[in-house]
Amino acid sequence: MIHTARVGLFRPARTVTGPTGDYWEIYVSKTALPGWKEGQAGGNLSYDGGYGCAGFALFELPFMLLSFLWANIVVPLGRILFLLPIAVVRGRRSRAVRIEAVTDYPHRQVLLWTTTDGYAPHVLDEIVAGLAAGKIVQPTGCIYSGQED
Amino acid sequence: MLRADVPAALVTALGRDGADAYDVVDRLPRGPAREAAWNTYALQTYADKLVGAGRRAGFVRADTALYAKSVYALVAGWLERAHAGAGGTATLPRWSSGMHSAAQLAGMREALMALRTYVAFDLASRAAQPELEARLAEIDACIDRVDGLWIERPPAELRGGIAGTLTGGLEQVYELGRILALGP
Repeated sequence: MIHTARVGLFRPARTVTGPTGDYWEIYVSKTALPGWKEGQAGGNLSYDGGYGCAGFALFELPFMLLSFLWANIVVPLGRILFLLPIAVVRGRRSRAVRIEAVTDYPHRQVLLWTTTDGYAPHVLDEIVAGLAAGKIVQPTGCIYSGQED
Repeated sequence: MLRADVPAALVTALGRDGADAYDVVDRLPRGPAREAAWNTYALQTYADKLVGAGRRAGFVRADTALYAKSVYALVAGWLERAHAGAGGTATLPRWSSGMHSAAQLAGMREALMALRTYVAFDLASRAAQPELEARLAEIDACIDRVDGLWIERPPAELRGGIAGTLTGGLEQVYELGRILALGP
């Protein structure tokens, strides 16, 4: 079963249900969104099992929490905020179109096709028809890159 | 200019030894000698087109220069074999870099077009052979696929796909030219 919606960066252009009930959302965009890359929080608790060090470990806890927030929230968010405008401008200047099919069940899968603006409607139709039939197709006029990390 | 770039004059000088490649193939009768001459023609064309398309303000990127050098190095050997009447199958050197630049893709495309023109002309001068014409149609389909994806500033995914299609097309056109050079 195929559903069509308006195209948007965060809104699927189509949704498809395959013959086995797998549900796919198809996104069409000219922008390759920068990925969420977490940094490494520094340091471990210095607690070594001795009673004398427990107080020191408690002292370290706020710093570890800050380090965790810095590495897992602040740095990745800052990176995305820095790279997103560049990606949007680059996408608007390019004639390349990314078509991503995303499913979350039974496990998350993101498949990527890259095409040009002229071929995009035809390629999208073929991808959608293929997924509806339970197949991953490789239409002419596009490059299928397989599963994204 | 990048510091790793190489003066274009230096690279084109490497190709001068194989300049005969463009004439020898037409002078030899069909058979092993012409097969070797076709190898020189295809290799010389490929390297010349890469260097021509990769030239920017008198310089060529280092990876293009290195690759062209390795292709030019094969030409002399095949020329000797052509003069000695010995045939054989040439193997293209592998690219050291995984991702091709836009200029390298342009050079590959120009080489494919040039070799395609040669084999199409050669094929037209012979009695109709449907199997060989089908091979030419496959090469044309490769060129059409590349043309359909040919845009300014292609992203890495498209460049990878275009490079794969061009490499396949070059292999096919080389093989067709070899069959024609050997054929009756």
